[in-house]
Amino acid sequence: MPVNKEIDINQSYQIKHLTFCKYVLHTPNKTIDLSFPQMLELRRKINELTTYSSLNRIVNNENFALLFVADKQHLIFLEIPQLLKLKEEISAFFHTSAAVCA
Amino acid sequence: MNTIVRKQMSIHPEVMDLLNNQIGMEMKASASYLAMASWCDQRELLHSKAFFYRQAEEEREHAMKIFEFINDNGGAAISPNVTNVNNDFESLRGIYETGLEQEIKVTESIFKIFKTARKVDDFTTEIFLQWFITEQSEEEDTFRSIIDIFDLMEGMPLKMIDERIPTE
Repeated sequence: MPVNKEIDINQSYQIKHLTFCKYVLHTPNKTIDLSFPQMLELRRKINELTTYSSLNRIVNNENFALLFVADKQHLIFLEIPQLLKLKEEISAFFHTSAAVCA
Repeated sequence: MNTIVRKQMSIHPEVMDLLNNQIGMEMKASASYLAMASWCDQRELLHSKAFFYRQAEEEREHAMKIFEFINDNGGAAISPNVTNVNNDFESLRGIYETGLEQEIKVTESIFKIFKTARKVDDFTTEIFLQWFITEQSEEEDTFRSIIDIFDLMEGMPLKMIDERIPTE
């Protein structure tokens, strides 16, 4: 059965709020527990990776990004569509604009 | 800002990003003043040297004020990269003119954060930034007054001009 990659991406990379200071990031391969400071750090890294120049650099080189999450307890592999989906998810979580910045 | 994030942070995430940029800008200004102080120190321009060492300290204090404000309000302050600091200058007057330009850039950047804070109803940051706006107006005035001294004393030996630079 053919897999619709777009649907897959949309259904993966979800952030859930568990308790006051506990959050969960669901990825296709694993579920990662995050504290709020770890969420802020993830937001910072994703914003840094999705600037126009960073995306350009990724596309023109390795075409993927490796990202340490939750105080370096987890390493996640992200291709461009996944990276953008995660940015969207984080932006929605923080209620801020998901636009790619220069 | 959604309720979950609001419970963790008193400031808006977008404003937090701008404040983190501002920390970088203040630290860069501090490093830049240190370079200017060194240039003056090597040429025995003692009043200017003292002035720029003090400016370097002040800019660092501004950065630290913002740094602590972000963390105190539930955000994540980021220690900045400070690169490309210019150590090469042409003249003492040129240094003060560069200083004024730097201060104007810092003021404009604070205005931008202020406007954003107002736009997203981040009143905590808006009130916090009021001190910075007053401070920047004083800083700009200090530099303008010093550049005036250069105009008034045009043609006088550099050492005499330097002695008119305020050290307090």
